[in-house]
Amino acid sequence: MILGIETSCDETAAALVTEEGEIRASVVASQAELHARYGGVVPEVASRRHLELVTPVIRETLGVAGATLDDVDRIAVTQGPGLIGALLVGLAAAKALAWSRRLPLVPVDHLDGHVASLYLQPEPLEPPFLCLLASGGHTMLLDVRSHTERELLGTTLDDAAGEAFDKGARLLGLGYPGGREIDRLAQDGDPAAYAFPVARVPGLDFSFSGLKTALLYAVRDLGEEELAERRADLAASYQHAIVRALVERTQEAARQAGRDRIAIVGGVAANSELRASLPAAIAAPLSLCTDNAAMIASAARWTEPVAYPRYLALDAYASR
Amino acid sequence: MLTLAFDTATATATSALVDDGEVLGERVSRAQSLLEDVDALLRQAGAHPSELDRLAVGIGPGSFTGVRIGLAVARGLALSLDVPGAGVSTLAALAAGAPGALAVIDAKRREVFAIVDGEPRALAPAELQLAPGTVCIGDGAIRYRDLFEERGAVVPAADDERHLPRARFHAALAGEAGPVDEIEPLYLRVPDADA
Repeated sequence: MILGIETSCDETAAALVTEEGEIRASVVASQAELHARYGGVVPEVASRRHLELVTPVIRETLGVAGATLDDVDRIAVTQGPGLIGALLVGLAAAKALAWSRRLPLVPVDHLDGHVASLYLQPEPLEPPFLCLLASGGHTMLLDVRSHTERELLGTTLDDAAGEAFDKGARLLGLGYPGGREIDRLAQDGDPAAYAFPVARVPGLDFSFSGLKTALLYAVRDLGEEELAERRADLAASYQHAIVRALVERTQEAARQAGRDRIAIVGGVAANSELRASLPAAIAAPLSLCTDNAAMIASAARWTEPVAYPRYLALDAYASR
Repeated sequence: MLTLAFDTATATATSALVDDGEVLGERVSRAQSLLEDVDALLRQAGAHPSELDRLAVGIGPGSFTGVRIGLAVARGLALSLDVPGAGVSTLAALAAGAPGALAVIDAKRREVFAIVDGEPRALAPAELQLAPGTVCIGDGAIRYRDLFEERGAVVPAADDERHLPRARFHAALAGEAGPVDEIEPLYLRVPDADA
């Protein structure tokens, strides 16, 4: 079995996955509550929490699966991209586990992990397909040609889609993480109440910073009382603008790449309007949309392992 | 009793393999490649990881990321090998290598870590009370050499080995070994929301 470890942002996660992609256990300790009072992830707070949680989460994973480390054939760990201090906690623990047992280590790219969440049982997706990866840290359109080949067709030029949700939620006085809060509030609002701009950048790239500014002005123009009345309309219109940008570019990317299947992964894939706007799209189960370690172990099935002792000096990377 | 000791809190990290007080090997390291040195120490001694009886790990103060790498390695090893461990203050280990000297670690942001009235603290270097002739060691002493020397303290040459932590002292100072998951890092600062 493959033991996966993920600590790139604000979830401390471990999972045991078989070679066939069956999840035997997947444990995610979310730090969302810890970061809620800051309205976003504080890197040093996240890193401290990862250290507290990393071994308890691995222990729990083994317990849930009724397994021991003797059942583990290789250790998969997120090497990047992400918060460097957070990544280093998971990588150090993973290296120690692998070294002490002379196991191979599989350094996994977090983005490959998100895509590989689609390859898990019970209904693994087979490439090729067009993939929208939208989370708090990334917004990407990927032409996934095989389990090991993907081409980046478009990315965000500024904020990630999930970041746009979080920042919007903060402007609206909602909680963190913002995506869920906006999604909930938008159910009671009119998505056409405000015409927020969808940035027209060339190609298949995204830009969400102008949208955030438009929301800021809209909020500022309303008095506090009026804001309370219009909050649901603002949330619905803001969400609609983000989703429209994602859907338009995703459909255009699929057309250009000649892919008839679209998959959506990452935390924003949990958004109900996005799912409704791309009804034919294949989405990972909600528990695998947000950061988890099952997807990291899954990606390790197609990533070259590094043999002992070559991984001992391996470093993490914040970005590529 | 075979003890693996290491400390990655400062820019120059250290690791040592000690058997009942006998230093089998000691290496200068970097936090990210700590396990490379640990691997070399065990190979040199002809030992397998499963033969380790105890860990002695530096808990800081120092670089937050460095402290965490050392503790994450310790926790990973303990989980895998079911080995107990003890945390050792980086300041105490530095001081043990230079009897009579005051250990001063660079805390960045114009502060240093040092023991003041028996307690580890983060403070401005000018706030340190220094009796004339006090020998100051550690990367903080090197960084603020001029300020300390002006005030009558003695800072050995930058290449003096007393400035560097050496894990043999962590092994020597380690108290009773217990569950490694319970060894707490010594940050001495609350995290910055905007860091």
